[in-house]
Amino acid sequence: MTRVLVVDDEPALLRAVGAALKARGYDVATVGTGQAAIDAIALTPPDVVVLDLGLPDLDGIEVCRRVREWSDVPIVVLSAEGSEERKVLALDQGADDYVTKPFSTAELLARIRVALRHRKDDAAPEDDAVLRVGDLQVDLARHVVEVGDRKVDLTPKEFAFLALLARWPGRVLTHRAILQDVWGPEYGSESQYLRVYASQLRKKLDDDPAQPRLITEPGVGYRLVDPAAEAGG
Amino acid sequence: MGIALGAATVVVASAALLPVRTHVTRATPALVLVLGVVVAGVVGGSIAAMVVALLAAAAYNLVFIPPYWTFKVNVADDWVALAVFVVVALAMGLLVAGQAERRRAAEQREAELRTLYDHLRAMSEEREQLAEEATRAQVLERVDEQRAALLRSVSHDLRTPLASIRAVASDLRDGTAYDDETRTELLETVCDEAERLDRIVANLLSLSRIEAGALTPDRQAVALDELVADRVRRLGALFRQTRIQVEVPPDLPLVDGDYTQLDQVVTNLLENAARYAPPASLVRVSAEERNGMVDLRVADEGIGVPDWERKRIFEPFRKGEGSRSSGVGLAICKAIVEAHGGTIDVERTAGGGGATFVVSLPKREVRAP
Repeated sequence: MTRVLVVDDEPALLRAVGAALKARGYDVATVGTGQAAIDAIALTPPDVVVLDLGLPDLDGIEVCRRVREWSDVPIVVLSAEGSEERKVLALDQGADDYVTKPFSTAELLARIRVALRHRKDDAAPEDDAVLRVGDLQVDLARHVVEVGDRKVDLTPKEFAFLALLARWPGRVLTHRAILQDVWGPEYGSESQYLRVYASQLRKKLDDDPAQPRLITEPGVGYRLVDPAAEAGG
Repeated sequence: MGIALGAATVVVASAALLPVRTHVTRATPALVLVLGVVVAGVVGGSIAAMVVALLAAAAYNLVFIPPYWTFKVNVADDWVALAVFVVVALAMGLLVAGQAERRRAAEQREAELRTLYDHLRAMSEEREQLAEEATRAQVLERVDEQRAALLRSVSHDLRTPLASIRAVASDLRDGTAYDDETRTELLETVCDEAERLDRIVANLLSLSRIEAGALTPDRQAVALDELVADRVRRLGALFRQTRIQVEVPPDLPLVDGDYTQLDQVVTNLLENAARYAPPASLVRVSAEERNGMVDLRVADEGIGVPDWERKRIFEPFRKGEGSRSSGVGLAICKAIVEAHGGTIDVERTAGGGGATFVVSLPKREVRAP
């Protein structure tokens, strides 16, 4: 059974999230402090952690940082609306994804599923792989991108940007993470580059503007929609 | 200037005494002529005094010592008189001039000191003004900071219950299959959190009333035992994890106060206790009459309030360790209690480490029928 640890100091939220997860067959544990979360992850490692950033004892970002020193358990952080820099910090400190409070349960469940999938993917080799995200195919060896049967011509940077997102479908990647992976380690704050490349990519992939597959997470980064996780199950 | 004035005096004095020079002794014109030397000394200083002294000696000789209009002196007595006159005139002139110079120097020093003093005073006034302006700017900055903190904490406080409500509502809307018990529990959570929102809004309204200075208690006779019992019943959901014990005697004197406002004080204190009380611990509400006041106590067995924070805990946006609430609740309690002429304080819970809040309220005076 998939084990989820939910960390929040609000009993009401723990009840709501706990009940929703249990109803979907997850094994749920809940704690109210950062220290208790670290202890719980060390003693009975869960498959995924849902972590509130505003904890009474330790800051959630600090919990992320400490846990990452010895564990690669997926972490989905919960954060209050309007604190983009906190989300980015949490992601840079090792969180896998975030959900903004107040959130719908479906949204949280989708993020948990994405985080769990990546845990399995991480174990698989990915060198000569062809990445498939919905009808999008990214052939890493041949540098070829196809949407359905249509071949899409991309520049090398556009290809690297898309390949990075396709490697982590459904998961948010921060501006800094993308810039450093695609442009190089000396980059990190040039998020305006990404705006240009993202809009080029959307055009070339023929994204529906109302429902783009390449989603902008304002102030945080980009995410490639993962139809498999959004659909549920 | 000094020489001219002295010489003029000498000339005028000589002219005045000229008609009577045969009828007076040698001493009279000598004394009058020394006057000129004194004038020169006072006005012109020592050089002027010396010049005029010699001038006066010459005039004395010419005009008053026979043979007249010559510098000749026939009698030995007159030689002595002339010599004495010169010495006296010089000495007198130098003395007076020295004195006058010292006075002038003193006056100059005084004037300099006064200028310096005026300058210093102007500087210190300017500095005071600058300091005043800086203080005003600091106060404004603090007010701005407080407003920003208020907005941050209010939006956080409002969103926290909303997050739970939204999570449950969206889940139920999506048709998740729950057993009856879980379903009831979730719906109860929604109700509890909605009530919590309502309490936050009530506190915000009170806060705006306090800020506007419009917190005037509408006084009536309030029975605390009834008020506490009613409030504890309504807040039952807060005490699911803890035990609550109410010991407010029904024969407690009535309190002179505003029911709605006092109800808010009790609500905030109970909510505060519930927040800090560890699971299964005891929250105790008691009341007694003491020194003509009615003391209400709300005691929890939580982490307590450190001594250094005892006063500050009643300031807005101070929150005890381990809390994320905005902390306007206790500030509102303090404002209401003080508007009633009462006091509020926090002490250590007897026999434990928790916090006990003590509210003292004035008794309702019972008039003779």
